Amino acid sequence: MRRSLVLTGAAVTVLGLLAGCSAGGGGSDSGKTTLKVAALEGGYGRDMYTQVVKQYEASHPDIDVQLQISKSIEDEITPNMKAGKYPDVVVLGQGRKAALTETLIKDKALEDLTPVLKEKVPGEDKTVGDKLTEGIVGNLNTNPYRTDKTYLMPMYYAPTGLFYNQGLLEQKGWKVPGTWDEMFALGDTAKKQGIPLFTYPTAGYLDSFFFALLADVGGEQFYKDVMTYKKDVWKTADARKALDITTKLLGYAAPATVGYANEQDFTKNQQLILDNKALFMPNGTWIVGEMADAPRAKGFKWGLTPLPAVTAGSKRYITTSVESVWIPSAAEHKDAAKDFIAYLYSDKAAKIFAKSNAIQPIEGIASSLSGENAEFYKVYEDPSVAPVVGGFASTAPVQGVDIKATLFDTANSIISGDTTEDKWQAALNGASEKLRQAGD
Amino acid sequence: MTTLSTPPPGSTNRTSEQAPPDGSSRRGARSPAHRRGNTGFVLACLLPALVLFAVFMVIPTVNVFRTSLYTWGGFSPDKRFVGLDNFRHLLDDEQFVRAFQNTVALLVVVTVVTMGLGLFLAAIMTRQRLRGRNLYRFVLYIPNVLSVVVIAAIFSAVYDQKNGLLNGTLRLLSLDGLQQVWLGNQKLVLYSVAIAMVWQSLGYYMVLYMAGMSSIPEELYEASALDGACATRQFFAITLPLIWQSLRTTLTFFVMSAVNLSFVLVRAMTGGGPDGSSDVLLNYMYKQAYTNSSYGYGMAIGVVIFAFSFLVSLLVSRATRREPLQF
Repeated sequence: MRRSLVLTGAAVTVLGLLAGCSAGGGGSDSGKTTLKVAALEGGYGRDMYTQVVKQYEASHPDIDVQLQISKSIEDEITPNMKAGKYPDVVVLGQGRKAALTETLIKDKALEDLTPVLKEKVPGEDKTVGDKLTEGIVGNLNTNPYRTDKTYLMPMYYAPTGLFYNQGLLEQKGWKVPGTWDEMFALGDTAKKQGIPLFTYPTAGYLDSFFFALLADVGGEQFYKDVMTYKKDVWKTADARKALDITTKLLGYAAPATVGYANEQDFTKNQQLILDNKALFMPNGTWIVGEMADAPRAKGFKWGLTPLPAVTAGSKRYITTSVESVWIPSAAEHKDAAKDFIAYLYSDKAAKIFAKSNAIQPIEGIASSLSGENAEFYKVYEDPSVAPVVGGFASTAPVQGVDIKATLFDTANSIISGDTTEDKWQAALNGASEKLRQAGD
Repeated sequence: MTTLSTPPPGSTNRTSEQAPPDGSSRRGARSPAHRRGNTGFVLACLLPALVLFAVFMVIPTVNVFRTSLYTWGGFSPDKRFVGLDNFRHLLDDEQFVRAFQNTVALLVVVTVVTMGLGLFLAAIMTRQRLRGRNLYRFVLYIPNVLSVVVIAAIFSAVYDQKNGLLNGTLRLLSLDGLQQVWLGNQKLVLYSVAIAMVWQSLGYYMVLYMAGMSSIPEELYEASALDGACATRQFFAITLPLIWQSLRTTLTFFVMSAVNLSFVLVRAMTGGGPDGSSDVLLNYMYKQAYTNSSYGYGMAIGVVIFAFSFLVSLLVSRATRREPLQF
């Protein structure tokens, strides 16, 4: 009797274990479609998403939106995705450390969103494509396979560039340098006063610096060549020039930079700007919120400038970070997801997003900005400044080759003198060549 | 109270019901049917543990080995079988070699220092009747209770190049020349990590050795003292041989902790930087598998780590095999 009890107990335990491992149920029970939306909680907060979802549900009573927001959304959705349970809509850009978006691009696991561009925004007459600013779709950021098919819809855009303390420059009577020569001259002047010219939070932040610099030096075609791994592109004079400028600039870096360029201490590098202990650093508009509570020098005021021009009067580019929204091709409710994405570009939604300073690439929306942010977005009004979007083209994964690490992280070694510019150039060429072969 | 009183009758019942047949039928002529019943019962009891073991240990391990033969980004359904290609790439991958070297260096440095210091401190604490040794033991053991992420935070404060404890102390002692950028200097950063690892594990091993040493009978020391042996001689002639077995066990722990602990610490403290100079194997594996979208390649690194730790543990255990001494 007792034994059979124990046996039953054991059986129940095993069953319980197996049941625990199996799917936890779910799905639509009341005839409603459950749309699973996952979003990164960036500097814009989470409130705007709940509001937009509420609006959407009000106008679409047959759809129940399940919203998942987190600061580390990758960590939360990846385990389920490995188990085959995909969210329907994901708001997450490229360039994150976990590189989930990049991985899915490389794995060709994204849904083609070209039809969404032609879809009418729910409740409006215009199509999504009509509402978007020109040139925001069609680059490597949205069409990662260099075709005319769009896989990632641009969600919010923000300028990234060199951040500095406007107050300090005014106080010292220094001008924001317009060319690299002026920049280095300012570096020498500031050095005499004990202020280093440059710092970066971690080497990874150099992305906003490099993408603009490459376009500044060699124009858009050269930038594209580098991003698509054209053969021997790193051996060209333009590439060398970009590395020359960078190496020279790194020579002006604050001595503390490398020691603080890690996950624990990167805010100490950002603090250097607030304390007037360094002049410029590459960063994005989120810096304002990120360092909002940090102590700062008297009269501190954030400023953002594009990189100096290579020669006076030449065109300058500003790296524009664009968050993306996409649908995994394994998603369950793709049609509902596409409709939801189209809704994200509606006037109602855009208004809610803009209130949280999340600026969508919709014509005429930047004018609704206020405060510090308005000033940051003004960089686009300068006719000599053009945005540069994107990043390295996606290839099949290549074992052990990470060109971003080769391009950015080596800066640490350049500053500390552990490697030379020649070796850097050679390593870049090697990595680029391997990726080119994988891309063909 | 009622809950306390119910189990005893139940448990006595069970023993009275089962003990006699069990005790008498070990080799006896019980009916085969009954024996089978017993086996079934045992199996049923083992099943939950076996299922857990299979699901969480065996299957994942086999999966790691299998995935290491594929090129796969981690999500798409199309995996491409590439045989041993991933392993061939490893040989040309400079960063992998560097991470391997770093892991081995940490393994050696941390093992030697922790073991040496642990033995030394344990011997002092047990043999010399040190005043306040309980306090010392307590203080030395505390780091072991802390989470590694906390340790990373503590040490990045200690190593801070400007206001850090280390550089601050050096400044105070007018040894400004010795100040270093502890986490920024590529030649030093690995040792900075090693020191944090030693700090974390020292107390644990010390307590382990102390337990071994305190069980050695006092007479042995008295007898050797009468023969004129000094403390050092006693340590090498009596203490060390008699705790040899626990020493061997801890060596295996060292291999595991050097591989595992270094990953968490490096990830939280330096991220493998600057420029990959403090990368360790597990961190590199993580980067390849998750941020470079080379899941198969990452798993190949995992296989190497598995084989490496297995081999080192085996070698260490072989090399230190002695006839166990009894007291």
